[in-house]
Parts: sequence; C-alpha cells; structure tokens
Amino acid sequence: MALTITCPICGARNGYEFRYGGEEKGPKPDEAALRSPEAWCDYIHFNRCKAGAQEEWWFHRDGCGAWFTIHRDTVTNREIPGKEAGI
Amino acid sequence: MLKKPSATAKPLWKKAPFKSSYDAVIIGGGLHGLATAYFLARDHGMTNIAVIEKRYIGFGGAGRNTAIVRANQRTQENVPLYKEALELWPVLTRELDFNLMFYNCGNLNLAHSDAALKAMRTNVATARFHGVQSRVVDPKECKELVPALDISERPRYPIFGGMYHPPGGIVRHDAVVWGLAKGATAKGIHIHQGTEVTGIGVSNGKVVSVETDKGKIATNRVLNAAGGYSAALSWNLLGMKLPISVLTIQAMVTQPLKPLLHHVVSSGAYHCYANQTLKGEIATGSHMDPWPNYTTQTTARYIKHQAEALIEMMPCLSGIKFMRTWGGLADMTPDMAPIMDGNHPHEGYYLDCGWGYFGFKSSTVTGKYMAQYMATGQCPEILAPFALRRFQEHRLMGETAALVNYTPDN
Repeated sequence: MALTITCPICGARNGYEFRYGGEEKGPKPDEAALRSPEAWCDYIHFNRCKAGAQEEWWFHRDGCGAWFTIHRDTVTNREIPGKEAGI
Repeated sequence: MLKKPSATAKPLWKKAPFKSSYDAVIIGGGLHGLATAYFLARDHGMTNIAVIEKRYIGFGGAGRNTAIVRANQRTQENVPLYKEALELWPVLTRELDFNLMFYNCGNLNLAHSDAALKAMRTNVATARFHGVQSRVVDPKECKELVPALDISERPRYPIFGGMYHPPGGIVRHDAVVWGLAKGATAKGIHIHQGTEVTGIGVSNGKVVSVETDKGKIATNRVLNAAGGYSAALSWNLLGMKLPISVLTIQAMVTQPLKPLLHHVVSSGAYHCYANQTLKGEIATGSHMDPWPNYTTQTTARYIKHQAEALIEMMPCLSGIKFMRTWGGLADMTPDMAPIMDGNHPHEGYYLDCGWGYFGFKSSTVTGKYMAQYMATGQCPEILAPFALRRFQEHRLMGETAALVNYTPDN
C-alpha cells in the first residue's frame, strides 16, 4: 500500500517525494552532554524501532524542502492522527 | 498455494512438551536461532534448550531471502566469518543428512565505472589476503561467464568489468531451515512454534526467566535472534535501544526459463542481483522502501524498477513475466555489519541481530560461534569486533564501502 504523507505546506503527497529523517528523539542534547560517548551514540545511532505508532521526521525532498514530523503506524505503513490522538 | 499434507508424510522434526525450565532459551525460529541451538547441542553438549518461534520456523527472513551465499565482503572482520560459512554448507549437508542444495555457481559482480573497477581491485585484494577466491574480470570475460549480458555501449550503465567470486552461489533456504530443525530436534532440542515471548525476567543484573504466552520458563541464558523483530523486541522487553532501522526489502521471481544464467549476477549501479534457481526461475532482489516499516509489502514501483534493470543488463529477458513477488524485513545497522554481543546489558542476555540482508549467508557460522559464546560466556575472538559497544567507541566497520550496497540512503 503506497504511503501518503501530509506536508504542512503542500498537503497530502505521494510518499516517494519525501526522505525519511529518523525517529523523533526530542531536542538535540547540548554540546557538553554530547561529549559523553553514551549520549552521542544514543542520539545519533540508537532507535526504538517501534512496531506501531511513532512520531518521525520527514523532508519534502522533491517538493517544498520543509522538515516536519508526522505520526505513522509502522505496521500498517499509514499516516495516523498525531498528538491530538494522544500518541 | 498450500497443499494438504499427505496422510503418510512424516514431519522432519519432533514436537516437544513445553517445559518450565531450560538451560537456554532462543527467541526466533529462524536460521540463526536454529543454527545456534544445533551447535549448542553438537559442540557443547547442551541439549536442554528451547527455540521459541512466534509464528512458524522459517516465517521471517529465513524463507524470504534470495538464497545467495558469498564471502567477498569488504572488511577484514567480516570476510573470515563468511568464508567459514561457505565452507560449512557441504559439511552440514552431510551431517544433517539433508540436501541443502548448495550450488557453488560463483558470483559475478558488475562494475559500471572506472571507480567501481578500482574499488573491486581493493576488494579482491582483501579477499585474497584471507584466502578467498576472487578476481577482477574484463567485459569480455563477463560476457563469457554470462552470455546474456549486454556489454555494448547501449545500456545506460555500460559494463566496465566485474569481480568474479567462484566459491559463492546459492543454497535452498527452506532446506536449511528444515535440515537444522531436523538436526536440532534429533539432538533433543525443543522447538515451540506459535509461541510468543512476552517478557524477559531479570534479577540482580542476571537473566532469570523468559515469559511466553504458553507459560513462564526459568532460564539463565536467552538469545535474541528475532531477525527483523529483534530491535522492537529489545525495546519492548528490556527498554534497550539498538542502532537499527527495520526496512522491507523486496524480491521477485520470473516464470521458469531454460538454463541461461549460470552464475549469480549483481550490480550495485542497477540495484539488482539475480540468479536462476534450479527450477529455472530468475530470482531477483531489489530495493527497499527507504523508511522503516514492518509490512513486508511489495510495491509496483520496484517491480517496474526491477524489470527495467534486468532488461538493461540482459536484454533477452524482455517480455518475460514476473510470477511472484514478496518482501521481508531487514534490520539495518549504520555500518552494514551485524551486532553480536553477550552479557549486555544483563548477564545471560545474548544478541545476534542487525544482519540487514546478510542474515542468510552468515546463519550457520554465526550459530556456531554464538553457541560457543553462550556455552562458555566468553566472546569468541572472531565475534569480538561485532560488539554493540563499537557504536559508542566510533569503531564502525567499513562494510558501507562494499560494492553491492543497497542502503536506504541510495
């Protein structure tokens, strides 16, 4: 089933126009915190790999160039309502 | 299409009673789990072991890969492991008394630029250093090896040469699942299909139990060999994150043809690898949608891509129909090398994951060394570079520089 992603500027578009940008991991830790190898590794490499709903970053590569987050169910590969749904 | 089993058919492996205690529990009835169980019994005399499989053995990557085996990887840490894996197929065929249909037809990897040819020379040097047969070939020899190839200037990416690796080939993946299940259960190992692991009990930093939907098992060793599901399992059961992204990789087969492709052919530029199965189908592997998902869905986009790539490389396949497509999960790490670790973060917790799409060719040898790790508690030297700590220590491996490289980023 093809993925449709809703860009905040361009609206719902074909998923192949976008580049996945990783799981939403919260604000980037400050430079001092990132000097610890554990924190660096955690922020750069580690993922939860959730099977289910997750918040994630996307880049509208073949469109307006916006970076934004959506919520998606990784099991059905469908965009789903986000924060208002309490996820 | 499923056929009814005949009344006289005898299962190759035995059903076993569910016990409340085992010396080790292996999560995942795929090739890595079954192989680890088999080698625990064969090499270490440990037979009081359960393999827990949520669905049925071989449901996951074990039965979804394109069955290609080879040992021409990029880095010196990886090559010895895959070399030993290649050498194990004939040994296991004899030992398991089961035909794994190892067909060492050789692998031809195509170069479509001078830069790719230079990279191949480095790759060949690594292989030879480790005693693996591999050589650079010119377009003429590519054509001699695979007459169907178009070596003219016509294709979008003309062929500049190739890297030929004679000892590689294909193995029937289902036969390996069945053979290992047969071999493991004959030694007394219990395989519990249709059983889901729901928790891992830890006390004072040590694994003490595994909870399943069929009941609790007391054990002090557990191996996470859940393939594409290993990272989600690790997060759900232990709150432990891994440097993994799970993507769906797609594959397909054409209608059966008379023999025409006598070697595995692959091309990084076309994102395409193909072999002819012993039934005559061209089995070809392809892309992954570059975002994490657990769907195992296939997409029209990549069926089209695959048809175009195959026809560019081998124009005689024009008009041939695809019969079947499928998808499987690949647990990809940032350095395209696996994670094998033990006693981390808890004593008795072992990890064998992050294989991406290399899990099939490595399965048996990994089972051998993970079994040694679990039996002795000491990391075998050959596995030491694959520890999870490498991501903290900035010791990522160079497998991303391999020639056949289909990361989510390209």
